Amino acid sequence: MFTLHSEKPLKDMTESALEVCRNLGASYADIRIVTIKDEDISVKLGNVSVLELRETIGFGIRCLVDGGFGFAGSYDISADKVRRIAELSVRIAKASASTRKKPVELVDVKAVKDSYTTPYKKNPFKVPIEEKVNYLVEVDKRLGEYNPDLIKFTNVDYRSHSEDKVFSSSEGAYITQKIVFCGGGFSCMAISPGSPPQRRSYPGSFRGDFSTSGYEFFESRKLLEHVEEVAEEAVTLTTAKQCPTEKATVLLDGHQLMLQIHESCGHPTELDRVLGTEAAFAGTSFMTVDKLNSLRYGSDHVTLVADSTNPGGLGTFGYDDEGVKAKRVELVKNGLFVGYQSSRETAALIGLSESSGGMRADNPQKLPLIRMVNINLEPTDWKRNEIIEDTKNGILMSTNKSWSIDDKRENFQFGTEIAWEIIDGEIGQILKNPTYTGITPEFWGSMDASSKDDWRVWGTPNCGKGQPPQVMYVGHGCGTARFHNVRVGIMGGK
Amino acid sequence: MDSNKELLLSKAELILKEAEKQGASQSQATINLTNLNLTRLANSIIDQNVAEHHVKVKALLYFGKKKGSVNFEIFEDTDIKNAVSQAASLARISRENEDFKSLPNPKKYPSLNLGSLVCEATYNTTPELRAEYAKLAIDTAHDVDSRVAAVAGYVQNTTSERVVMNSLGVAGYEMRTSSDIELTILARDGAEETAGWSGDARRDVRDLKVEEIARVAAEKSAEGFGMKDLPPGEFEVILEPAATAGLLFYTSMLGFGARRHQEFMSYLRDRIGEEVFSEKLTMYDNALDERLVGASLFDDEGVPHQKVELVDKGVVKNLVYDTLTAGKDGVESTGNHAQWWGPAEPIARHIIAEEGNSSIDDMISETKKGVLVTHFHYMNPVDPTQGVLTALTRDGTWYIEEGEVKYPLRTLRFTDAIPRFFKDIDMIGKHSKFLTRPPYGMIPGMKLPSFRFSGSKKE
Ligand SMILES: [Zn+2]
Repeated sequence: MFTLHSEKPLKDMTESALEVCRNLGASYADIRIVTIKDEDISVKLGNVSVLELRETIGFGIRCLVDGGFGFAGSYDISADKVRRIAELSVRIAKASASTRKKPVELVDVKAVKDSYTTPYKKNPFKVPIEEKVNYLVEVDKRLGEYNPDLIKFTNVDYRSHSEDKVFSSSEGAYITQKIVFCGGGFSCMAISPGSPPQRRSYPGSFRGDFSTSGYEFFESRKLLEHVEEVAEEAVTLTTAKQCPTEKATVLLDGHQLMLQIHESCGHPTELDRVLGTEAAFAGTSFMTVDKLNSLRYGSDHVTLVADSTNPGGLGTFGYDDEGVKAKRVELVKNGLFVGYQSSRETAALIGLSESSGGMRADNPQKLPLIRMVNINLEPTDWKRNEIIEDTKNGILMSTNKSWSIDDKRENFQFGTEIAWEIIDGEIGQILKNPTYTGITPEFWGSMDASSKDDWRVWGTPNCGKGQPPQVMYVGHGCGTARFHNVRVGIMGGK
Repeated sequence: MDSNKELLLSKAELILKEAEKQGASQSQATINLTNLNLTRLANSIIDQNVAEHHVKVKALLYFGKKKGSVNFEIFEDTDIKNAVSQAASLARISRENEDFKSLPNPKKYPSLNLGSLVCEATYNTTPELRAEYAKLAIDTAHDVDSRVAAVAGYVQNTTSERVVMNSLGVAGYEMRTSSDIELTILARDGAEETAGWSGDARRDVRDLKVEEIARVAAEKSAEGFGMKDLPPGEFEVILEPAATAGLLFYTSMLGFGARRHQEFMSYLRDRIGEEVFSEKLTMYDNALDERLVGASLFDDEGVPHQKVELVDKGVVKNLVYDTLTAGKDGVESTGNHAQWWGPAEPIARHIIAEEGNSSIDDMISETKKGVLVTHFHYMNPVDPTQGVLTALTRDGTWYIEEGEVKYPLRTLRFTDAIPRFFKDIDMIGKHSKFLTRPPYGMIPGMKLPSFRFSGSKKE
């Protein structure tokens, strides 16, 4: 929609910014110039509540001076402003350096000139907005019509996102990238007298499911075809049996298992957290450096990886915001804790030879941080149905509703929208208000199966981190997994 | 100090003029210009250090009951015209929103001393001054106890200017400055790692209580050694102001926003006028209180802020409204429209709870079996419709028995319902001498007779 208002081509702009930093004493500098476009549509109770385009253009300069990092960014891409922001970043770096005991060191990265685009068939921004609005309105209408006496709240969300980035470093890298993703979902709430409201969502709660793909991804989630089933579940929940309070065998599927991985493996293996960078806010991690290659994180069946190359993954890209090429890194291998998500600085701090390529910023004017890419639970040789059939007594929980985990990422508690009893290998009745709690290594230590046939990379655009805060889009590949001896039914306050 | 008032107003006027040309029946222009500077500490050094300059422009157009909006970060006139025309084409293809009555009509802004919202020294804060504060915090903390191992946290200063204008004549401008600091201090003795926390916020950066909060946080970490586990159960709880603040924020956000009521999500649905809380609890929202670091004249659609009574002696009094939700309920907006994360909704962001007379020491001496909490981590609703929350204790938690602090506790999780644990309040403390940023205003410590801890690290 907009044009970049720079008097000079981008390449000249990045060159002159890096030049200013170098001339003022920077031993390293990089600049990102980024345009981000979003299209948001929400339909709620029959009304189009949001129909909005968002566009951000800006740049950020990071430099290393006297061994300290500085960062500054602005929306104003004029030559004069770029120069002043470069100067400011140097001044900020010097202020950082004045408190350091040891200079920042960076592991090497090959400085490449390259460009990359996440693959897509139908550019989501080229699909007429009218078509999307009509579809969302139809889904919302059908939800509302399903059982108007009980379904009192409905909403449908859609979002397209595209990001054009230029990354240039004083080491000679010049990378252009285009990241495109889209997705969405719906939810409805059933209310019957004497019962608290019960919500059901599809394909996931908190705005749905997302993928670095074209509009074909959103179409493939077939929202309309799931309206009746999901609405019926919400209605059934209002009269369903309460999830018992006991120790149980628990099966988690897609949208909940994704968040379990996110909170209990994704965050604690971020090396900046581990090294204390996030101590004041998000917290630290129980997966400390002395435990690398010795901690039993989970059972033999648990292998977790950080992979920014998964086709369609929401954490998929060509290069991170330090110019490190996308790759696959093992975090937990057959239960053993073996790796971290890292940056060039943090990798150097613990003697690794390369970064895991996890640095990303959510906005041009924000500092890149270690962010999850696609953090995946590798499948074992089970099918989802086989796990169910193999379970004598259990509870299958689906679709995240609430989450909370401590600052070291050990003690978690989750709630899901719905659960089903499993008795003698068969899915039984629906249970309401399912919750479970546990301790990370004990919980993953109890996992004895995870399925392959329903394995896919889920996408959530809602991961918060950093001060000032940033919200990043990340992916999680998983199927359905089984855990034993789990404390369920923690409601409190009733 | 450079004010961009004329520039921002002229850009907003251009948006409204272009909207009119496009044939919009009503339109609104919002511009936020922010200069944010944050120096982040970790491991007793400055670890991250950033300056961010943002401009956020929004053009919102209505064609009858159909709306479209465009949010952008560009200031050029040609782009503004472009954006307005995009918003117009979105509005044309949108659907009628039956809940929409009108954008707000202009109202006189209250006589808040605008000058008091801005401080020249804060506006002029340099990276060097933030580094000086950082060093002061680091040195002070390490001097408190030799086991202090890592000072983490941030020092921040921001300057923001905003304009909200609409085609009905609303025209608000305000400029504000603020500065704040938070510290989390870790101490280690070879066997254990403990933590302490404190924070302060001021409109004048020179008033930040850097040394004092470094000392408070460091002392907490030093007193944290010898942690024990507490089995889950119901205990008395002493909430320091920051712990009360976390609970009261969710109390207000989940319970008192009109949107949550209209969407069946509030635990206070159909309970207005009822004595849901302890008669000791009186709470209101008041952005006009000049003591607040986040004091402000108007909300994100230009409606003047006002004092809104939320709870009076335990009785649920009012919801907070914006124009859309007020239209639906046939009442007036209370000036609480908030465009923050997620969709816009009315939220109380300047919460003040009336203080009492008790000190934290008084509360300790009145406690038989209880837990003293510095603050909570990762609070989230388990079931918003019942007001059930969960979170973990963090940065200093102690077990109290027979009026005495017995020993520090390892992390505890609570899971409990707001209408249950705030049904009874034993004692209310004084407002903290440290200030906070929005959404918190002035909040005291409290002692509750019953609070449900549902788990700990050792289950
Ligand atoms: Zn996250």
